[in-house]
Amino acid sequence: MKVSRILIILMLVFLLALPALLSTSLVNAAIQMLIAALFASAFNVLAGQGGMLSFGHSAYFGIGTFATIHAMNALGGEGLLPAPLLPVFGGLAGCALGIVAGWFSTQRSGVYFSMITLALAELLHALAPHLKGIFGGESGVSAMRMPAWGFTFGSSIEVYYLTLAWVVVSLALLYFFTRTPLGRLCLGLRENSNRLPFMGYSVHALRLSVFMISAIFSGIAGGLLALSNEAANYVIFDVNLSAQVVLNAYIGGVGAFFGPALGAAIMTFFGYAVSDLTRTWLLYQGVIFVLVMMFMPAGLFSISSWWATQRGRHAPAVLVRVLATWIVGCVLATCGFVIIVELLAHILAQDYQSLLVPGAAWPAVLLFGIQWQPGALLTWVLPAILLVVGIAVVLLGNRQWSYAQQEQAA
Amino acid sequence: MEFFTVSLLNGTIYGLLLFMVSAGLTLIFGMMGVLNFAHTSFYMVGAYLAYSLQEVVGFWPAIIISPLIVGVLGAVVERYMLRRVHQYGHGHQLLLTFGLSFIIAEVIKLFYGNYPVDYRIPESLRFSAFDVFGANYPFYRLLIGGTSLLMFALIYLLLTKTRVGIVVRSAIYRPRMVEALGHNVPMVFMGVFAVGAALAGLAGAVAGAFYTTNPNMAIELGVLVFVVVVVGGLGSLEGAMVASLLIGLISSFSVGIDYSLADLFGLMGAREWAEGVGGLLTLKLSSLAATIPFLLMLLVLLFRPSGLMGTRE
Amino acid sequence: MTPSTPVDARSPDPADTSLRNAATADTGVDLPPVLSLHNVHKSFGETAIIRGVDLALREGERHAVIGPNGAGKSTLFHLISGLIRPTSGQIFLGDRPIQGLDARNINKLGLARSFQITNLFPGLSVYENLRFGVMRRHGLQYNFWKPISRYRAVAAQTEELLEELRLTRHRDTLGGELSYSEQRSLEIGMALASDPHLLLLDEPMAGMSREETEYTVGLIRELTQGRTLMIVEHDMDVVFSLSDRISVLVYGQVIATGTPDEIRANVQVQEAYLGAEVKA
Repeated sequence: MKVSRILIILMLVFLLALPALLSTSLVNAAIQMLIAALFASAFNVLAGQGGMLSFGHSAYFGIGTFATIHAMNALGGEGLLPAPLLPVFGGLAGCALGIVAGWFSTQRSGVYFSMITLALAELLHALAPHLKGIFGGESGVSAMRMPAWGFTFGSSIEVYYLTLAWVVVSLALLYFFTRTPLGRLCLGLRENSNRLPFMGYSVHALRLSVFMISAIFSGIAGGLLALSNEAANYVIFDVNLSAQVVLNAYIGGVGAFFGPALGAAIMTFFGYAVSDLTRTWLLYQGVIFVLVMMFMPAGLFSISSWWATQRGRHAPAVLVRVLATWIVGCVLATCGFVIIVELLAHILAQDYQSLLVPGAAWPAVLLFGIQWQPGALLTWVLPAILLVVGIAVVLLGNRQWSYAQQEQAA
Repeated sequence: MEFFTVSLLNGTIYGLLLFMVSAGLTLIFGMMGVLNFAHTSFYMVGAYLAYSLQEVVGFWPAIIISPLIVGVLGAVVERYMLRRVHQYGHGHQLLLTFGLSFIIAEVIKLFYGNYPVDYRIPESLRFSAFDVFGANYPFYRLLIGGTSLLMFALIYLLLTKTRVGIVVRSAIYRPRMVEALGHNVPMVFMGVFAVGAALAGLAGAVAGAFYTTNPNMAIELGVLVFVVVVVGGLGSLEGAMVASLLIGLISSFSVGIDYSLADLFGLMGAREWAEGVGGLLTLKLSSLAATIPFLLMLLVLLFRPSGLMGTRE
Repeated sequence: MTPSTPVDARSPDPADTSLRNAATADTGVDLPPVLSLHNVHKSFGETAIIRGVDLALREGERHAVIGPNGAGKSTLFHLISGLIRPTSGQIFLGDRPIQGLDARNINKLGLARSFQITNLFPGLSVYENLRFGVMRRHGLQYNFWKPISRYRAVAAQTEELLEELRLTRHRDTLGGELSYSEQRSLEIGMALASDPHLLLLDEPMAGMSREETEYTVGLIRELTQGRTLMIVEHDMDVVFSLSDRISVLVYGQVIATGTPDEIRANVQVQEAYLGAEVKA
């Protein structure tokens, strides 16, 4: 595993140097990416390693945020627990909620489990607005980062490094977990939980333990959000965050340890990069997710394992050519699809609709620096062609690949 | 008394609505082992389609055409999406339907906006069925309940009395054997999925006019439907009926109850203390009405993990 | 792996083969039987599958259960191992009643079983499959603070087990990628890994060729030294060569119990099961 070790070190170096390369707003984006990566990795302990798909993980993240916010307010920032260490309360809150919710959820397995996790998160979501003392009502709860250890934590850069430290340590602990007896049994739960009782194990207790570990680190991630945002609001218990982490993890690939983190980083980055398209960004996420589920079931990370296994059988040039074909096809199809969706989004928006005058031509839409006339045929034909050509190129790549495989087998 | 009767009626009808939607879900799960996360999305699509069609063809044609379109959508989803990922297991299929529900919600928001639309009951149907202690009871509510009962009867008869029904029921237990006997099982699966989707669409078309039609209706109802199937037991139509009615009635009654735990403590003379503590103790049941189904689910999990009428896993 | 000392006091030498001799099976008869079933019934709804089974396994013996298909042999195993609970009757492990206990507790009391349909962890290595069984003996199930590789005893015992199963060369092969008979060996190994006092093997030779069967019989003989074995099998050669005593289960009842010779000679058994022609 030498290559992966080098890659990890390179990644660490890159992350350490990042603030020097980015503007402040992008540093904030990087902080969110780190938090999302940790949350996705914590989620993966349960979903990818334990085989238990949770649709309500925002509960443990959110409770961590609130616990840390309250800790930030309650503790002045002196003594044993200065601000930087406060996410530990997030972890504790996640642990407590994880034990209670996990006890109920792990009574069942499979789809029942998933449904129960969703319902429990919704329960919390419905309850939170009423418990104003804890969750602060519509305006939420806010706090301030107090200085500690000579840092003021006033700038994004300092918060970035603090978050980075927490995330690196947490990921290291999560990786370590996979090497422990419980971590290995976690895989056993996924592979064949039916056999475990006959080997003397309590499946419910094991599942609960794994759930707890996942909730602890989700809570820590939530606590990091509290530190960076200095605020917490009950909308965090929304189903959106739970959905987001599921999307991130599976797009990245739950089979590999870093898969979910990768998926989370990419998705969060795109979320920031295309923030002016946020209305449609969620649609794109859903489409990416469904396409990955259908055509790359092991997630984006599987590209690296695909490369690793195929390198032994094919020349790198062949692989690169096939990969390039696929990528070009995807890019073309994406362009076509995005143009169509963006045009639709603009045309169907209320402010555009109000400009319409019956009988007159529809006004042009400004998109990517070009004026598109909705009435003109070319406006729709061009992206349609892009989409079709893109798909054709992908299919060409498929044909190249099967050809290469046939050649190799011969 | 008025409160009791009205709540009883409302609760029953709401329960019947829940049943309409969860019946399809539980049937599809029983047959294909797939929990269709997008089932309530079909419900939502049915409502929106009926809303759009209503302006073009009128209310009754819209109510009929909309489910048909949703049924076709269901067939397409099964044939080209679910079937492809069948090889990766049930969890994968669940995730796929989850992604699909996501996409459907976003497409709805794209076309109709991220706010409720004004899908209303046509004037012709806005009369009262009867008087309840001086108040009018809307006919349309009864229409919703009636549709649900009709649907239940139809499904039941279809499954038990027709040849198609026998094939479907056999395919639940022994799909390969049924295939060996010459029946086109993939077609059966597609048909059941399409019918399930169409039923959800019908429920949406009918109920959307009465309750609000908005992009969140899929997830709001979806969570409740999941609670119904956990409480009632997946794969059990009777369990779904019992659980739906139970949840419908409880939700309906609790909305009107303005008592809180503090009142309970008041019976023992500890009201002031309870109000001093605040928080959960002073919350009125009516505010918490939305959480009661979940608490019911937790209770069931504690005492009867396989559901009220489910069998052990 | 040397078996742990059985709970009740008994013959000091586990390799003492005198117990294998059916003629001296009476030694040890004053000890409580390792496993005993008393009038066990099991019905599924209206259908009675087990209709009053009495059975007693002696310390250290190899006891085969044979019978026509549908006789209830697998059901019997499920009842003993805790997968299902008897409608009535009692099952004792030593002097402890175990009917109604769940599978986990029964395993902790020293009983382990294999499955007729291979039931491994397909995505994990052979080593890992076996290690799970070993880990529980060391009480490590909830340990999340120390890497498993640090536990030398666990590693050593797992390696030893690999050796005994002759699967060392497949140490890192995924369970799902083994050949069928290797999977069956692993299946037995997983039951052995918890170092049970009583081992239940459910048709371990199902689907094997002649060579594979002979090989596995030899393996089973080695592995069950010093343990008590209950085995369900259809292959009569295996049954007659491997077992000390045989019980014949027909329609949920034991119609005969005895040494292989006694069973061969038993008229009822011949009629019900073996037919007129009996393999010598």
